[in-house]
Amino acid sequence: MNYFPEEVIEHVFNFIASHRDRNSISLVCKSWHKIERFCRKKVFIGNCYAINPERLIRRFPCLKSLTLKGKPHFADFNLVPYEWGGFVHPWIEALSSSHVGLEELRLKRMVVTDESLDLLSRSFPNFKSLVLVSCEGFTTDGLASIASNCRHLRELDLQENEIDDHRGQWLNCFPDSCTTLTSLNFACLKGETNVAALERLVARSPNLKTLKLNRAVPLDALARLMSCAPQLVDLGVGSYENEPDPESFRKLMAAIQKCSSLRSLSGFLEAAPLCLPAFYPVCQNLISLNLSYAAEIRGNHLIKLIQLCKRLQRLWILDSIGDKGLVVVAATCKELQELRVFPSDLHGEEDNNNAAVTEVGLVAISAGCPKLHSILYFCKQMTNAALITVAKNCPNFIRFRLCILEPHKPDHITSQSLDEGFGAIVQACKGLRRLSVSGLLNDQVFLYIGMYAEELEMLSIAFAGETDKGMLYVLNGCKKLRKLEIRDSPFGNAALLADVHKYETMRSLWMSSCEVTLGGCKRLAQNSPRLNVEIINESESNRMERNEEDERDKVDKLYLYRTVVGTRKDAPPYVRIL
Amino acid sequence: MEFSNSCSSFSSSSVDSTKPSPSESSVNLSLSLTFPSTSPQREARQDWPPIKSRLRDTLKGRRGDDTSLFVKVYMEGVPIGRKLDLCAFSGYESLLENLYHMFDTLIICGKRDRKHHVLTYEDKDGDWMMVGDIPWDMFLETVRRLKITRPERY
Repeated sequence: MNYFPEEVIEHVFNFIASHRDRNSISLVCKSWHKIERFCRKKVFIGNCYAINPERLIRRFPCLKSLTLKGKPHFADFNLVPYEWGGFVHPWIEALSSSHVGLEELRLKRMVVTDESLDLLSRSFPNFKSLVLVSCEGFTTDGLASIASNCRHLRELDLQENEIDDHRGQWLNCFPDSCTTLTSLNFACLKGETNVAALERLVARSPNLKTLKLNRAVPLDALARLMSCAPQLVDLGVGSYENEPDPESFRKLMAAIQKCSSLRSLSGFLEAAPLCLPAFYPVCQNLISLNLSYAAEIRGNHLIKLIQLCKRLQRLWILDSIGDKGLVVVAATCKELQELRVFPSDLHGEEDNNNAAVTEVGLVAISAGCPKLHSILYFCKQMTNAALITVAKNCPNFIRFRLCILEPHKPDHITSQSLDEGFGAIVQACKGLRRLSVSGLLNDQVFLYIGMYAEELEMLSIAFAGETDKGMLYVLNGCKKLRKLEIRDSPFGNAALLADVHKYETMRSLWMSSCEVTLGGCKRLAQNSPRLNVEIINESESNRMERNEEDERDKVDKLYLYRTVVGTRKDAPPYVRIL
Repeated sequence: MEFSNSCSSFSSSSVDSTKPSPSESSVNLSLSLTFPSTSPQREARQDWPPIKSRLRDTLKGRRGDDTSLFVKVYMEGVPIGRKLDLCAFSGYESLLENLYHMFDTLIICGKRDRKHHVLTYEDKDGDWMMVGDIPWDMFLETVRRLKITRPERY
């Protein structure tokens, strides 16, 4: 079968980076499977409970980079209790005691402890890159271990983690000999930062390209940092509540002007609007701008900044920009590929909320930005007509996530449901991979999704649908579906149990506040040895009535996922695995 | 913005502030003024809208949501001033309504008028400006204090 020696085949395989392609290669024949596994450097595990570390290491002994994801997506919105699971320690222990030369670890929604970080830092002499996204359970002491012990550290990227800040001297723990940093992101740390240590670290890191500061780094320090790192490409600015005095402002402007490589800007936590003009000189080069935490900056200031960003490809912003602001974005940012508009007002019906966005902004963006392929849009209201127009303007959407803030809200002009609008989106966007629907929706929208969304991999449903038929349309229609998450929708056992084998073709299913019952879940679990069916019932009364459980009781939260390693042993008492 | 259109005109016969007699005024001002900030706020859900905790915390801590912007308000000729939370109002109209009740006199903004009290403000730069020219949002950012000028009499 092999026309070439193994080394040649291996050499060819090394050009293939995508883990999906790698998985396909390994299925061609036994010989390729064997060659592939020994030269696989990067492994992606979308659900840490689908496999265990021992089997991973046995199959891929030459592993250098591991990506692991723990909790389901809805954990981001406080729907998964704290100790549900996703502990990384067993993985690090197993890797540590094997001979794997780990260089990179990327974790998402996992529980990480200081002990884990310490073990990690001591076990892998060539460790280079640690990326933690939405993780929790550790403190700055763990960071100190990483800083002290990882001699070749290049990347320490902490995104949106819950870190207990002991205000220690973790930045001081980087030895003087550490000069290899390319990326440092500690924006999510809440405590004080040793600014002097930070300045020394940046000064001795000539390859530093990404620097994202936390709120404790003041304006004058920023100016000094930028002065000794003019090579920065990606900058996250801290918090500037007070307007800068003219001298500080002048110094900042001078430093910024030297940063000709700057392409990405973020941060601006609690920023005073008058700091923005210091960044005007670099706007023309920016391809990415994240102002989604800049809650204090009003629309008009944001607009002035964005008007200068003609090359922008990615924009994350709050809805305080308003429809008017989005019209400006549409006119200015012709290269825009990804837009996220987040809500700035959590209390809902504020009368004076002229600044929130509506269908008007969305339509303007779709008309003005031909390269747009990903959108996340939180808005007050929507219409079918607008969605139909958006679908016509942008048939290239890969990700379309619309969140109308008020559940069950219909088309605000016709008072009809939004089934036709979303139907137009899935029909036009043949490459759609991710979809979130909202507003008043019946079963019809799911019929459309099942019929047209052939490439759909992830679907999020909230407060939608009428009967089990809705969920069935999706399960029967979307052949490439990998993740389905549903909350507060009237789908029950009939939909859940119709095609149990479907779930083995998917990564996971989440259903909360729906109509599925304990009996239905038990039946599902009985027929599926390769699925873990987890019931999360947090309320006290449910726990006490365990002895007289009623199969007709509705289940609070159901999370099921395929696995080759059976039931996990680390679940807390309120998680029942059937 | 012509806010004076919403107020009826009446003659003011003295220099100092006067109470308009109810029969003269044809303005239908509701006496039960509701401040947006005192209406019962809905219990914020922790799981809707679907945003991450860090953004949720950032928005909760916003100046705009929970805090206030108290400025001094003087009526020209009256040495003792009042204090007003501008964040309690949704716009110029509700501000004027409230001032009417606070000072028992009709106040206009947006144009000078020899008959009525005119609302002015001191901005960030220390200049005294006519209230009503700029959008409310922008006004909130720049206002330092308010002064109600007496009507000119010639």
